[in-house]
Amino acid sequence: MNLQGMDIDVAVIGAGPAGMAAAIKAREKGAENVLIIERDTRLGGLLHQCIHNGFGLLYFGENLTGPEYSHRFTEKLLDTGARALLETMVLRISGEKEITAVNRRDGLFTIKPKSIVLAMGCRERSRGNINLHGTRPAGVLTAGTAQRLVNIEGFLPGKKIVILGTGDIGMIMARRLTLEGAEVKAAVEILPYAGGLIRNEVQCLHDFKIPVFLQHTVTKIYGEKRVRAVDIAALDANNNPIPETKRTIECDTLLLSVGLIPENELSTAAGIKLDPVTGGAVVNEARQTNVEGIFAGGNVLHVHDLVDNVSWESEIAGEYAARFAGGKKPPAGQITLKAGRNIRYVLPQIISGKNNVDLYLRVREPQKKVIIKMGGIQVGKTIPGVKPSSMIKLDLSAEDQQKFKRNEIVIDCLTKGD
Amino acid sequence: MQENIKIICIGCPLGCEITLTIGQKGKVEDMWGNSCKEGKAYALEEYQNPARILTSTVRTKNCSRPLLPVKTTKPVLKTELMQCISALARIRVSPPIKIGEVVLDNFLETGVDVIATDNL
Ligand SMILES: Cc1cc2nc3c(=O)[nH]c(=O)nc-3n(C[C@H](O)[C@H](O)[C@H](O)COP(=O)(O)OP(=O)(O)OC[C@H]3O[C@@H](n4cnc5c(N)ncnc54)[C@H](O)[C@@H]3O)c2cc1C
Ligand code: SF4
Repeated sequence: MNLQGMDIDVAVIGAGPAGMAAAIKAREKGAENVLIIERDTRLGGLLHQCIHNGFGLLYFGENLTGPEYSHRFTEKLLDTGARALLETMVLRISGEKEITAVNRRDGLFTIKPKSIVLAMGCRERSRGNINLHGTRPAGVLTAGTAQRLVNIEGFLPGKKIVILGTGDIGMIMARRLTLEGAEVKAAVEILPYAGGLIRNEVQCLHDFKIPVFLQHTVTKIYGEKRVRAVDIAALDANNNPIPETKRTIECDTLLLSVGLIPENELSTAAGIKLDPVTGGAVVNEARQTNVEGIFAGGNVLHVHDLVDNVSWESEIAGEYAARFAGGKKPPAGQITLKAGRNIRYVLPQIISGKNNVDLYLRVREPQKKVIIKMGGIQVGKTIPGVKPSSMIKLDLSAEDQQKFKRNEIVIDCLTKGD
Repeated sequence: MQENIKIICIGCPLGCEITLTIGQKGKVEDMWGNSCKEGKAYALEEYQNPARILTSTVRTKNCSRPLLPVKTTKPVLKTELMQCISALARIRVSPPIKIGEVVLDNFLETGVDVIATDNL
């Protein structure tokens, strides 16, 4: 295809679950020319390396693996007639919605779609993002890198493994590496509870009797060429290591599973305002950023717990991007939502007050028997328990929003009866 | 002789710790700690029949991709997971393979098949 000067309604950047869902929805909502741009050789994003199951329980009501979940969307995407441009890297997006990209066939080119959906996903925090003392030998890698090595490329990164962080990817890799014959000697977590989903804690750590050290951290790495051992220690109330509790664990690999960061270099350059808490764009209920006609969905917006939510959210972005391309602007936002008691963030950050919206919330700390209040008014039913690792999805009706008396609404997570 | 065992429910983020009192012949005589009836059903199943869907990979030949992702069609008893992994380690598959195609049938005579979870 001749790309330069091509007439495009909606361009989607990234073909993970977010990008695919957005592109499909954009086509369904009437956008004629939908182009999805992906730097990898295949559609599907990170789902290819997530060979375990647990995907699609909500979206399809079925327990699928990552590749199966991806497959459902790739088939549908091709059916809708959206066009995919693989092995193409987007280098820049301007505030005027001009996309500069490069690939081997077309070289460097620019396109100017009517609207854009950002779906670049997230990346993992690495050693540079956290503070680790000691030498810098080989054998320190992120859990996601290990996942790619084991599940796609087919080799084991090490034999004796310590995992720092109990995020979902870390726990899933603990199981995977154990099944592949490695010995996972410890899963070390700074918090007093495991970081990921309960299901992963039980089925990945407990099932395989992996020693878990809560309120501990890795304080030192030993080894010249290759990791030889690490020190771990318990943490006091101020999160400082307690020297007397130090122990040395022999290992050849340290996996880091210490969090994900939305991939937003392109967004910042386009003048998109980011939320310091989520690391993603500030959006309204249409998932539109502060730059008109640029929308976002999936992990580029905030790190999700379940891919099902990634798909749903990105469908919203895709739908409004299609409407925008057809000349219809999304409802203007008037009400700003603010995180209050035990709320880490809320998404979208801005709502119009006129439509039913699904809010996604994350709490700071685990809490039992909770009710959510917005501007002092209870929304939804009592929730038995909440955890930082699980997102809360809240249906907010237009009716509820009529009761709001201000343009700034604080959301609180309260214990029932307090 | 009675024995207490603990099971963590995975039904929701609350993660209730459920205690089961097991009497003679492994009979469940008492249960507490669950906050709802889903938890009760889960704990009974998890005690009587702890099984998991196994997901893994098998090696390929004549293919640029070294691995094909696979899963079992039904849950495999936790005690048989390692045997299943060893059986998979002995297999080599070559393209073309369609998603859903059986790569290992009736593993250990259990009626469980292993199928491809991607096209190759
Ligand atoms: C290592 C890792 C493992 C994970 N494992 C799980 C898991 O087991 N279960 C789970 O539910 N969630 C997991 N997640 C979260 C997972 O990212 C989401 O569930 C889901 O994949 C997010 O979808 P997405 O489309 O937003 O992002 P992604 O799947 O990451 O897709 C983003 C796509 O954008 C492309 N892209 C980025 N920048 C550019 C550019 N400049 N030009 C062109 N293309 C670009 C990327 O190549 C990629 O294909 C994992 C995340 C990571 C980082
Ligand atoms: S018993 Fe009920 S409330 Fe407790 S974790 Fe299970 S599903 Fe949740």
